[in-house]
Amino acid sequence: MEQVFAYPANWWGEAVRVWLVVAVIIYLIVAIPGMYFIMKYRFKPGEREVGDHENHGHWGLEALWTIIPTIIVLVLATYSFAVFKKQRTAPPDSMVIKVTGFMWGWETEYLDEKGNTIKKVLTVYNPTGYDLPEDQKIVVPAGKPIKALLTSKDVIHSFYVMPAMVLEDMVPGRITHLWFQINEPGEYWIFCREFCGTGHSHMFAKLKVVPPEQFTAWLKGEPSVANKENKAEKGENI
Amino acid sequence: MREAISVPYLKAGLKEWIFTTDHKKIGILYLTTTYIFFLVAGLFGLVIRFEQNSPGYQIVPPDFYNYLLTGHGAVLLLWWGIASHIGGLGNFLLPLMIGAKDVAFPRLNALSWWAFFGASVLVLLTLIPGNHIKMMWTGYPPYAGNPDAGVTALYVFIIHLIGVSSIATAVNFITTYIKMRAPGITFWNTNMFVHALIAANVIQLVGVPSIAGAVTMLLLDTYLGTNFYNPAKGGDPLIYQNVFWFYSHPVVYVMILPIFGMFSEIVSTFSRKPLFGYTSMIFAIWCITFLSFIVWIHHMFVSGVPDWARVLMSYTTILIAVPTGIKIFNWMGTLYKGAIILRVPMLYALGGIFMFLIGGLTGIPNAMVAIDLGISDSLFIVGHFHYVLGMALTFGIFGGITYWFPKMTGRMYPENIGKLSFWLIFAGANIFYFFQMIAGILGNPRRYPDYPPIPEWVTLHHIQTIGALILGVGILVYTVGLIKGLTSGEEASDNPWESQSLEWRLPSPAPVDNFGDEPPKVEPDYHPYKYGAPPAF
Ligand code: HEM
Ligand SMILES: [Cu+2]
Ligand SMILES: [Cu+2]
Repeated sequence: MEQVFAYPANWWGEAVRVWLVVAVIIYLIVAIPGMYFIMKYRFKPGEREVGDHENHGHWGLEALWTIIPTIIVLVLATYSFAVFKKQRTAPPDSMVIKVTGFMWGWETEYLDEKGNTIKKVLTVYNPTGYDLPEDQKIVVPAGKPIKALLTSKDVIHSFYVMPAMVLEDMVPGRITHLWFQINEPGEYWIFCREFCGTGHSHMFAKLKVVPPEQFTAWLKGEPSVANKENKAEKGENI
Repeated sequence: MREAISVPYLKAGLKEWIFTTDHKKIGILYLTTTYIFFLVAGLFGLVIRFEQNSPGYQIVPPDFYNYLLTGHGAVLLLWWGIASHIGGLGNFLLPLMIGAKDVAFPRLNALSWWAFFGASVLVLLTLIPGNHIKMMWTGYPPYAGNPDAGVTALYVFIIHLIGVSSIATAVNFITTYIKMRAPGITFWNTNMFVHALIAANVIQLVGVPSIAGAVTMLLLDTYLGTNFYNPAKGGDPLIYQNVFWFYSHPVVYVMILPIFGMFSEIVSTFSRKPLFGYTSMIFAIWCITFLSFIVWIHHMFVSGVPDWARVLMSYTTILIAVPTGIKIFNWMGTLYKGAIILRVPMLYALGGIFMFLIGGLTGIPNAMVAIDLGISDSLFIVGHFHYVLGMALTFGIFGGITYWFPKMTGRMYPENIGKLSFWLIFAGANIFYFFQMIAGILGNPRRYPDYPPIPEWVTLHHIQTIGALILGVGILVYTVGLIKGLTSGEEASDNPWESQSLEWRLPSPAPVDNFGDEPPKVEPDYHPYKYGAPPAF
């Protein structure tokens, strides 16, 4: 079996393909006869000046194109429900992180088993570019499910994990959640996708996915100081 | 012949325009105002488009971009999407189609117009730099109350004034339909446009108070320190979203139902054939109207509401595809064995129907909650509603204007210019909006003036810009056609399309008192789509 690149992106991609096939088929079923009628039944003086005015409707046909689409959409919705359950249910062995959005950056907290914060990563606003210092990247282990608890300090933001094709709003006063798992180490985009003002399009982060051993070492490391230094440095050029 | 409303309209004095309570003049006032606003907001759209063309801030700073996008969204939805065909074409046509002398409450109608005019003035005031509103047309708190979002009060008062206008119009139109029909006009031989107009106004009547409440609480929170949406004091920002979308989802049917009505009028006339499935069309309209009020959570699939609510409204939302499908199939049934004449209004109507087909099919993944978790707030959704609004709706209005142009002005819309504009707009809009959707599938968030230089995104943005340019030229050509038609268009006969519908029995342009003091004689077997005899053109 081919290795899955990321959850829940694989299920999302499958759902998109299912929809696309259904949509293209319906499109062809409607558009081809439609175009054909437009070509064929043209007004021709002396020959075809009036349409068939006997037919005002056809109950059989109308019932057919009510019932069949109803069945199709109910099947699609139920399929989507099944996928949705998987997308929303984090596996029990998930690692939990807390991410707090603010105008226009993020604060990510790593927790120990008791739920105490053992490490923080602050990603600050970069109003001009899309590069990020090493110590502002959100680091997670590859091949491990991550459950992110989300909230916001000010306005509503959202947390979009691009490789996992999943997002959820960060609402002040609430804790929302999503989960994802990336199996291939690398750097990926995170964006805010709920409109939050002037800095909205620069509210981004990098998700750095590393092998589990490297992650454990990183978690024990000491970069929170560097993170603070960096914040001061950034503060100057804002 | 009785005195015509004014040929051309320019002959009516300023005083007459200001104090008029004539539904036709008010209709024209709405239509011209909304058309100008459409052009300006379209221009905003082009600036937004150029800004997104390449990564980096290109031509406008992000806060000004946010103003442009707020203006683009709000004006195109409220002015173009609602007022142009309800206040504009609706005002003009409703009394004519049911054989009435005017609407039920002509002075209330004038009030609607002036409230709308007030809102238009407020929108113009936001052009002043200190007055920008930047909270997007959705105005979500807490952001909408933040200084970064601009002048909250202006946003709220614009919605209030539009709301006053909408409620007054809804009361007026519904009463007019119930009370003022000429003898012989019944539920079963009413034009589809009128059926749709009434359904749309029922939605307005039920829904507008809801959004008015939402923004009023926003106003109180922002200026008087109440805490409806403030989580620190026990409020909840999601209240706003619920109350806002309870109206603002149904409002998309306020926008699109009358467009469907126009498609039906035009397709039947130019197929020289009765509308297929008239009864199931009416059934579909009222099904949509009812369902539209129980689907609003699909705008909040990732907002943090409970999972069960998302699944429930995923089902109700996807069910709306059924009545909309019925309408599309019925139009195809009307084309079948017709005698199709591809004049400009018909081109626009057919284009609109085919584009609505794509708009509808790309709406399904937004209803499927599993897919929406990945595409919510991306450019996919923007591309989808541009298919519905930028194409189906705009084609409907453009087609409707060219179709009833003779009745409004006494002249014909120039055929060649109309055809050229159609093909330009059709090509440009498809290039633009199709690739907007693809960019969204690839993850590009919406409302982003800047984005990282991801190669696929950049290519897609370049293609979109080319499409938008062609689209812009098309709209310009259509506008030239309007001016040309008004000033030097061919003189129109009373019923140039040989329509069976009541409004075409009047002279072109329609006279001041419509059918005169006596209601028109409507034969017992009258039906607006009773086609049988070949047309003479
Ligand atoms: C002249 C042609 C048009 C152009 C060039 C254009 C362009 C755009 C662009 C570039 C966006 C921004 C997408 C984003 O990053 O979020 C946008 C958003 C939007 N457009 Fe258009 N558009 C056009 C016509 C229309 C029409 C006719 C309508 C409606 C009737 C419409 C309704 C909207 C709405 C509601 C939004 C979303 C605003 C928001 O995010 O709050 N547009 N348009
Ligand atoms: Cu944000
Ligand atoms: Cu944001």
